Amino acid sequence: MKRRSLIRVIATREFMARIRTRVFTITTVLTVIAIGGYILLQAYVFNKPTATALDVGFVGAAQSIAAPVRAEAGAAGETITVHLYTSAAAGKADLESGTLDALVSGSGAGTVMAVQSTVDPTLETALNDQSRQQVLSEYLTQHDLPPSAVLSQLAFSVGVNELSPVNAARIEQIVVGLLVAGVLYVSMVIYGQLVAAGVIEEKSNRIVEILLATVRPWQLMMGKIIGIGLIALIQVVLVAAVALVLASATKLVSIPTLSVDVVISGVVWFVLGYLMYALLFAAAGSMVSRQEDVSSVALPVIFVLVAGWILALTVAAPDPGSVGTTVLSFIPVFSPVIMPVRIAAGVAPFWQVAISVVLVIGTIVLFAAVAGRIYRNSVLRVGGRVKFSDALGLPPSVDRPAQRFS
Amino acid sequence: MHAVLELSHLTKRYGQLEALRDLSFVVRPGEIFGFVGANGAGKTTTMRVVLGVLEADSGSVIWDGAPITFAARRRIGYIPEDRGLYPKMAVLAQLEYFAQLHGLKRAAAREASTALLERVGLADRGKSQLQSLSHGNQQRVQLAAALVFSPELLVLDEPFAGLDPVAVDSMTEVLRAEADAGKPVVLSSHQLDIVERICDRVGIINHGQMVAVGTVAELTERGPVRYWADAPGAGTGWYDSVPGTTLVEQDGSRWLVQLGDGTDDQAVLRAALATGPVREFRRDRPALTQLFRDVMSGTAVGEESDR
Repeated sequence: MKRRSLIRVIATREFMARIRTRVFTITTVLTVIAIGGYILLQAYVFNKPTATALDVGFVGAAQSIAAPVRAEAGAAGETITVHLYTSAAAGKADLESGTLDALVSGSGAGTVMAVQSTVDPTLETALNDQSRQQVLSEYLTQHDLPPSAVLSQLAFSVGVNELSPVNAARIEQIVVGLLVAGVLYVSMVIYGQLVAAGVIEEKSNRIVEILLATVRPWQLMMGKIIGIGLIALIQVVLVAAVALVLASATKLVSIPTLSVDVVISGVVWFVLGYLMYALLFAAAGSMVSRQEDVSSVALPVIFVLVAGWILALTVAAPDPGSVGTTVLSFIPVFSPVIMPVRIAAGVAPFWQVAISVVLVIGTIVLFAAVAGRIYRNSVLRVGGRVKFSDALGLPPSVDRPAQRFS
Repeated sequence: MHAVLELSHLTKRYGQLEALRDLSFVVRPGEIFGFVGANGAGKTTTMRVVLGVLEADSGSVIWDGAPITFAARRRIGYIPEDRGLYPKMAVLAQLEYFAQLHGLKRAAAREASTALLERVGLADRGKSQLQSLSHGNQQRVQLAAALVFSPELLVLDEPFAGLDPVAVDSMTEVLRAEADAGKPVVLSSHQLDIVERICDRVGIINHGQMVAVGTVAELTERGPVRYWADAPGAGTGWYDSVPGTTLVEQDGSRWLVQLGDGTDDQAVLRAALATGPVREFRRDRPALTQLFRDVMSGTAVGEESDR
């Protein structure tokens, strides 16, 4: 029988054994909720737009600035409904009852604004501007200067030149990049550990002995990695779809930013990253015989993954175009979480992506050779943790006790 | 295909421990070969070497006249020492998986699995998870998994461990049928009474060495010739008239008499009949258990050459 079809038989079993489990359903639902929740949180909590319609009361002398305040706030995009009061007490009552958002009294330097708790910044600016102008106009009039002529000369603002402008689109791109990298990171951690657990399962119930009488260790390892990988891929694609739909529905990101090629490259990076790390997890799993021991061997692999994610958050996200980010994106073990951030930010030239893909593929080939060797040497050894030198098949240490080979 | 399995001068060391020492034996087509020995004697190591999951330091495994290949090993039905199946997988799916791993197409795998499940008496449990089955039934599934791809050779490490007599019988029946179809069957067991009953030939292994090989009759006949005679009318020394006889044991009216070389057992019977009625007269064969104890305690039965 062809090697490839054996791997397919093994992969199919891994896939079928997991697709119908409660664990798969639960992790899928949780991941979708987590990503969806994150997007909704971003949309409605952190990016909460300021109120754009206010009811403002003006008492007595303050009524004279009501119209210019409303005009200035209106220019800034805020609609102000003016309520005029002759009695301060009536205004105060309406403020307390919530009919009014703010109550303005007094005039000139003595202008006072009463609010419930928070001050609307646009309203405050307009109020400051207009009361100062009121004072200034009175002063100019007293000195026989035409206020309108003077004031019109003041109607300018300082020009601003942004050397590296942070625009809304740019932030969207970084959010998208981190979203892609985050899904990849979480999936690699979860499914990598599932590979390790699967290897240990077969080792601990000794089924591996029957299997290895039939298939090569390499086929068994690859079948497992591919089968679990397909499950992971389904979940990743599902999450990507949910993210796309939610993000466009909430207008957190515009669809052009979350473009098809960002999503596709995300899937490609997942496949590459998963393969790279799953090989390491499989090798780690083959070295122990009990599920309880998995953390001792999987920890170094997880550590590298976590380090990559932290670098994505701290180095890549704040400045995707920096030299540091570029360098990190070429280190194969970090590429799958760093490169998507650069790609989403639009700062990764095609040739750079191509080179890092080639480097990652080279690393996968290398890891496959090493992991295949460790797996082959370890998977039939029961008992304690297999020593690393033994697993690599280095010259045997002296007098190793016969473990359970009776 | 009726081929011979031959293990030739196998050695295997683990550090200081010699797990196998120049071990050789032959299993012929249609023969159930019982492999007995104390814990750590080298039974499992031998089987793993045959299966190729372990490599011998020297010596060879010959199948059908040539060193065994990976392709030939894939035609071996194997039950490992510690059971090896997926606890959470449905029984039928599990068998189908093994059939497919051995090259059967999906439809053929399903057909073979269903047929085999019926043969081991678990036709109604196909959809159950393995872990929901009793130990005996799990073992039946294990046997089915070893047979589902129509192997040409069976290697079974402790197939009877933990089985009740009924389960042993039904498994024996299946194994006998496989052997009758011309397949060599090798099994190891601690249950010597079962081995004695079902195996055509037996090999006793001690410290990695084969110390005795032969049919059960051959092995048990090699001891002294003794007869049990139940003669209620007999008195002390009734056998003295026959030269070369000595008394080994007396239990009421039952006498165990050992015969010397060339002593005619019929003469002993006549001497017994001379004392009155004889209710029983039979050859006393040491059970395999006794033989096994003798071997382990160093009272070697003597080496028999392998063929």
